[in-house]
This record gives sequence, C-alpha cells and structure tokens, in this order.
Amino acid sequence: MLLSVENLEVKYGNIQALHGISFDVREGEIVTLIGANGAGKTTSLYSIARLAPPEAPKVVGGDIRFMGESILDTAPSDVVKNLKLALVPEGRHIFGNLTVMENLELATYSRDKDADLDKDYQRIFDLFPRLAERRKQRSESLSGGEQQMLAVGRALMTGCRALMLDEPSMGLAPVLKYELFRTLKKLNKEGMTLLLVEQNAKLALDIAHRGYVLDTGTIAASGTSEELAGNPEVRKAYLGG
Amino acid sequence: MLASILQNVINALQWGSFYALIALGYTLVYGVLTLINFAHGDIFMVGAYIAFFVASFALTTLGLPGWAALALTIPATMVLTSLVGVTLERIAYRPLRRKGAHRLYVVITALMAGLILENGNLAILGASRKAFPPLIHETVYTIGGVSFTNLKIAVIISAFLVFAFLHWVVTRTRVGMAMRAISYDKFAVPLMGIPMDNIIVVTFVLGSAFAGLAGILFAMSYPVLEPYMGALIGWKAFIAAVVGGIGDIRGAFIGGFLLGAVEIMVVAFFPSTFRDLIGFTVLLVILTFKPTGLFGVAKTTKI
Ligand SMILES: Nc1ncnc2c1ncn2[C@@H]1O[C@H](COP(=O)(O)OP(=O)(O)OP(=O)(O)O)[C@@H](O)[C@H]1O
Ligand SMILES: [Mg+2]
Repeated sequence: MLLSVENLEVKYGNIQALHGISFDVREGEIVTLIGANGAGKTTSLYSIARLAPPEAPKVVGGDIRFMGESILDTAPSDVVKNLKLALVPEGRHIFGNLTVMENLELATYSRDKDADLDKDYQRIFDLFPRLAERRKQRSESLSGGEQQMLAVGRALMTGCRALMLDEPSMGLAPVLKYELFRTLKKLNKEGMTLLLVEQNAKLALDIAHRGYVLDTGTIAASGTSEELAGNPEVRKAYLGG
Repeated sequence: MLASILQNVINALQWGSFYALIALGYTLVYGVLTLINFAHGDIFMVGAYIAFFVASFALTTLGLPGWAALALTIPATMVLTSLVGVTLERIAYRPLRRKGAHRLYVVITALMAGLILENGNLAILGASRKAFPPLIHETVYTIGGVSFTNLKIAVIISAFLVFAFLHWVVTRTRVGMAMRAISYDKFAVPLMGIPMDNIIVVTFVLGSAFAGLAGILFAMSYPVLEPYMGALIGWKAFIAAVVGGIGDIRGAFIGGFLLGAVEIMVVAFFPSTFRDLIGFTVLLVILTFKPTGLFGVAKTTKI
C-alpha cells in the first residue's frame, strides 16, 4: 500500500471536520474522493500533505501511513522531498509574482543535484505547450486555465511519484477539462499514482480505478469506479440521477 | 555653488547609506514575514558593540595593525550579528508563528525584544559610552572645494555593494525566489518541498549581517557607542523603508538615501534642531500622496 489513511480524525480548532475516515491508495492507481461541498475532501488532502494550522487542520486521532510508516511527524516540505508526494491545492496557489519558468524552477528546490531537470521541463512543456509559450510571463497574468496547468506542472517538477489534486477542473472550460483529464490519465499510464478530489464525479469516475464518497466527514460509500457509478445513491447524489 | 551642491550630495549619500543599510533589513523581513521587526535598529546597535569588542580584541590582545583588525572585524561582526538576529527569530518570533499568533502580538514582541537588547546592554556594560578605536587612518581629500574622506567613500560604496548583492540574491538565486514566493503565498511554499523556516533564517541572516556592517561603519564614522544609538536611527530607517515601499529592496535603498538627503539639506539651510521636524514632515507628505511608498504596489507582492 502506498498511502493509507486509518480512522483519521481532524479538527479545525474545536470543530471536527473528519470523523474517523479510512481509505487507501495503491501504487499506480487513480483513486478519487468525491463528495458535496464541505464533505472534507480538501481537509483530507491537507492532512496527508501535513500542512499545519491555521490554514490546515490538526490531526487528533488515527494515522496516516506512507509505505507502512506513519507520517504524522513529517514536515510538509519533507512529504514532497522525501516521500515524493505532491499536492496541487484547491485554488491553485501559484506564485503570481514569479514568472512561469520561476514557478517551475522553484518546485525543483529540494531535488537531487543530479536530477535531469531539462528532461522534466521538456515533459511539462510537452504536456502543456501553452506554458512553454508563456514561460517568461508573470504568472498572475495567465488565464485561469493556464494557471491550473502551471499548478499541475509545478507539482510535477517536484519530481513526485504520487500526486494529489484538489479540484483541478475548477474553472476550466469543458475542452480544457477533458484535455486535463486525458493528461492525468496519461501521467498515470507512465506510472504516476493519483489521488484525485473532484466535484465533477462523472469525470473523476471516468478515469479513476476506485473511489470513495465522503459525506460530512465520514466515508459514505466506496468501491471500484464501475461500482460507484452503478450505485443508485451515488448516481442520485452526485451523477445527476 | 556647484562645489557646495556636490559637497551636500556626498554628505547625503554617506548619511543615507546608514539608513539604506538598515532599511534593507527591515524590508527583507517584512517582505518575507509581513513582520515589522522593530528590534532591527537594536540589532544595528548590537552590531556596533560586537564590532567594538572584536576590534579592541584584535588591536590590543592580538596586537594586529589597524587594517588587519578591520579585515577581521568586518566578517566576524557580520557573522556574530547575524547569529543575534537568528537567535531572536528562533526564540521570539518562531514560537509565535507556530501558534499562529496575530500580527499585533508579533510586532509587540519585536518592540519588547528591542527594549531587551537596549536594556540588556545597559545592565551588562553600564551606562558609560564606549569609544570605538580608530582602525584606519582617515584621510581628507579636497578636489575643487569638495572635501571627502576615504571612510565616507567606503561607506557609500559598501551600501551600493550590499544593495547589488541583495538584488542579485532576490532576483537570481533560488533562495531569493523562495523569499519572493513566500511574500506572495506562504501557504504553497512547503508544497514545493521548501522548508520555510530555512528561508526565514536566511532572511534574518542577511538583514542582521548588513545591520552589523552598518554598525561597524557607523562606529568608525561616529566613534561613540551607547545602548540607545540604534533606537532613533532604527526608527528612521524603518520610516525610510516605508516611504520607499516596504517589502521592496529598491524602495528601502532609495528611501534610505532620500531620508539622508532630506536631513542633510535641512541642516544646510536651517538650524540643525529643525532636522527631524522637517525630515519627518517631508516623509509624511510623500506618504500622503503615495501611501504605499515610492515602490510599493498596493498589496500584491513584496521584496
Ligand atoms: N479553516 C477552516 N476553519 C474551520 N473549519 C474549516 C476550515 N476549513 C474547512 N473547514 C470545515 O471543515 C469541513 C470540511 O471542509 P473541506 O474544505 O475539507 O470540504 P471540501 O469537501 O473540500 O469542500 P469543497 O467541495 O467545497 O471544496 C467543512 O465543514 C468546513 O466548514
Ligand atoms: Mg475543497
């Protein structure tokens, strides 16, 4: 098991946001977390990324294991550096005062000295040719879709082997949305493990192997994508009937 | 006429250099942490005292000649002063940051830390002033009625070199890139695999080291040290950084020289007791017209 979340309970101050949820991700899989607004999807990813309060919640119970070892004491930068687990956060959070290229370069901050960065830049620019055209541009002047591409490209430049994405399709035009999901599928074919949070459950279940449905901080359903897509309750709540 | 203008320009550059060097430290820390490190002026004072002890040790105990003592004093003071800055960050600011304390409490902590440095100095070394030992032979040159000393020129050159160096760090190096990234969006920085505390430590090292350098140069230029010497100059450097646009190193640099120029000009035309009154009034007027400072952009990015 690459990642396992076990009976995780987390709080923001006194407010409990996750009530003992468990799920896991195997190497090479695409796993999706779906659920309504406020279900606890972002909270789950923040916890795994080990981000600290006040923005992120505090783990008060349960465990998060990466390849069998608890990561509750791991610093967020070490999750990226040592575990090679990256997060594309909700709302992109690109560094608008840096150029596109600087954003990508910054993501290589903690990589090995002998990493073949040129090859990785080339890979990003092949995946997202738009970024190549705009590499000298200040990134706050990119369109929303381009910023999303940069957020994904930047996470990939960390040299990660597993990637968590929080609503990557938010604000993208339909064409770009499908393009992004094709890209994600392609990354997964090349060996990248993905944990995908999406409001658009249909799109997510289309590319995921398995999924979990979160409902107010608990797991309401889980199964393969086919099972979830066939589950009448899931269909009713998240797939429009 | 021309000679007197040039004379004032040189004086303004030299006097402004101290403000600029100190203002750079204010602005770096502010850019990265949005913290106004009110202890920074006192770090400058500590730097001058460290320079005093190192220089005295080199001259008397080691028996080094002045130039060698200076060559030792500069790096040693910069290193030791940056340790003071880093310690301050570690014991005063970092715990508050960990707890997510409101900015107001951090600023109050900074003010208190400054007072502790001043009064700690007073308690340990007593109220008597210290005379900084001469390290170099000050030579006065006069060209066409304009006179300046080797020390004044060295002060000005130092300020420009420091600015060029910091500008290079901020714009060209990966650490500088991380500093700019933090100033824009702290939240996402660890997600890039960057340990934020390391970047903050680098910021304090840079700011304090150059406050230490300012301390040496100031002590050489005005060789009387007292525990409160950093208070007023620190406030003024802070104001210079704000007028320049706090968070932007160009702003701090220009702001420092602007304040130096205003003060020198006031003294050239008015009784010297008017200096601070007119100086602060000019800065106030600038801020009224441009509240974000000369280089300040309304709340987008810093540094
Ligand atoms: N910073 C915070 N402080 C307090 N409570 C929070 C905070 N962030 C989230 N919460 C609460 O935690 C719960 C889970 O929120 P979370 O952001 O994880 O939901 P989500 O599933 O990502 O929703 P969305 O689809 O809207 O992004 C919600 O009830 C929310 O109100
Ligand atoms: Mg969310």
